[in-house]
Amino acid sequence: MESLGYLLQGFETAGTWANLLLCLIGVTFGMCVGVLPGLGPTAGTALLLPLTFGLPPVSAVIMLSGIYYGAMYGGTITSVLINTPGESASLMTCMDGYPMARQGRAGSALGIAAIGSFIGGILALLVLILVGPIVAKQALKFGPPEYFALVVVGLSLLIGLMGKSLLRGLIAALFGFALALIGMDPLTGTIRFAFGMEELEDGFEFVSIAMGLFGLSEIFITAEENLNAQAQKPPKIQNMLPRREEWGPSIKAILRGSGIGMILGLVPGTNSVIPTILSYTIEKKVAKDPSRFGKGAIEGVAGPETANNAYAGAALIPLFTLGIPSSPSIAILLGAFIMHGLTPGPTLLQKNPEFVWGVIASMFIGNLILLIMNLPLANVWARITMVPFKILLPNVLIIMILGAYSINNSMFDVGAMLAFGILGYFMKKVAFPLGPVLLAFVLGKIMETSLLKSLTIFSGSFIPFFQRPISATLLVVAFAIISISLYFAYKEKGIDADTEI
Amino acid sequence: MKSIEVYVSGFFILVGGVIFWQAALLPYNSQYGPGPGLMPIWVSGLMIILSAVNLVIAFKNKGTQFADLIPQGTGLINLLACVGSFALFMLIVKYVGFTISSILMLFILFSRGYKWYWGLGMSIAVTAILFFVFSSILGVPLPVNEFGW
Repeated sequence: MESLGYLLQGFETAGTWANLLLCLIGVTFGMCVGVLPGLGPTAGTALLLPLTFGLPPVSAVIMLSGIYYGAMYGGTITSVLINTPGESASLMTCMDGYPMARQGRAGSALGIAAIGSFIGGILALLVLILVGPIVAKQALKFGPPEYFALVVVGLSLLIGLMGKSLLRGLIAALFGFALALIGMDPLTGTIRFAFGMEELEDGFEFVSIAMGLFGLSEIFITAEENLNAQAQKPPKIQNMLPRREEWGPSIKAILRGSGIGMILGLVPGTNSVIPTILSYTIEKKVAKDPSRFGKGAIEGVAGPETANNAYAGAALIPLFTLGIPSSPSIAILLGAFIMHGLTPGPTLLQKNPEFVWGVIASMFIGNLILLIMNLPLANVWARITMVPFKILLPNVLIIMILGAYSINNSMFDVGAMLAFGILGYFMKKVAFPLGPVLLAFVLGKIMETSLLKSLTIFSGSFIPFFQRPISATLLVVAFAIISISLYFAYKEKGIDADTEI
Repeated sequence: MKSIEVYVSGFFILVGGVIFWQAALLPYNSQYGPGPGLMPIWVSGLMIILSAVNLVIAFKNKGTQFADLIPQGTGLINLLACVGSFALFMLIVKYVGFTISSILMLFILFSRGYKWYWGLGMSIAVTAILFFVFSSILGVPLPVNEFGW
């Protein structure tokens, strides 16, 4: 009941004209990011991050969250219409969405995806409201050793899910961690690895790394592949609702997808690709006629799309309650929290309830806006897919430069973005996962601070980590995850699921 | 010709090596317990070991060659136009200001897909809009020349 009261207050905050407008801008921009090639939700959120500096924290995060879940919706449209996922979480939607479009049923595919996404998103938010305060209350008992162990679990899951790319995932994570070490030591204040450069004394800017690795590298790759490619004309969208006999299986797929997305969203270190793959696999397994999959089965669209959006909502629980991001896109939101002077973690709900509940309430509104945008306006979004990349590329590039520059009004951050863009280009070319770099960069700072604090408390001994029940359990879990992953990597049976790009 | 992964592994070994060398100069322990060198030593040490393992694997496998990695023809020109125009922007912005640098950069990129006069027109229009939005509305102090643009 207490949560309900706070939520109503949240609606008061989110319902102001300014915040409603920012929510609309966020979800619209997010939809564009999802629909257009060359940018994913991570780069899209990073792109607008510097523009929110002048806004109050709640308004800034309302807009940035809108981009995040808006992009999740938008990626579906290109998957269904032109067989090109706007972002990697929509990859599974291509499997049956595109065949449905070829059968003249693009409207039904997009309709069920929008309905599923809405239901998944709303259910995840309800779980966030119910579970969030409980987790935050428990997390208040966490000391530095427990935080250290929790981050280790998150990183283990992230790397463990790399499957065949386990070794590369580990190297990428260590590289991200190494980047996080640049700048001031959290305990003694010693400047490390700045090589005499004043700009490096505070370390690399998160936005430069995120935009370079995810945005710029993607632009380079798209530029070399199809700068002058003619946009594929999308089919006309008619009849947005499924057939009568399809409602039953679709609703069941939506409910299963919601469950899968919500459970995996709670686990730090996973990413939105995993629930979509899992949902698709389960739908195929439970179907009476699995041979329909890949040829236009509506459950193949409903399940993964719902799982994707349920994951997006549930992934906010570890962020709000523990301050731990689940995916690179959530890591950008974490970066936004810190830039606006907020400390994500268990105390956030206590110290800034108007902020947390305002953002949560805005997500209900944002999901409703997206449902309206996706059902009657699907044809408008379909036309946006036809914007040629030769117009987009120069505009996106110059906006990225301005975005990186605006952080500190320094060309150093722009140069760093270019350097990380080139590095990301080569890493993508040799299939080195980028997600672990960004997540380890964010988690690395938390991990080092909590480890050093713990060791100071324990007089330099590691043994007390295993004498405290929570940290001991978490470290054993992390060890088990890495061991199992190593076993499957050795057997080459892991899911080769790179993090979202 | 070695696989590109050999060079990528080499890059990570180099980064790890530099951090390890610098970390070795920092105190491992401090007055209160762990010192600023503790984490960097472990992180860079692990990075070197794992990258070395990856290097050995890369030597054994055929993998992607440089020739397969770098695009040919138009793709290569497009890529060079992107990186080159970006680098050009960075080099000249301090001297000629945001407006001229941006127009030049955008002109190079738009010219890849449009006739030069369309490219120039679009470059000027986009730059003018962005200069107004960032400088006047958002109050970002963009680098400018002696004329104030």
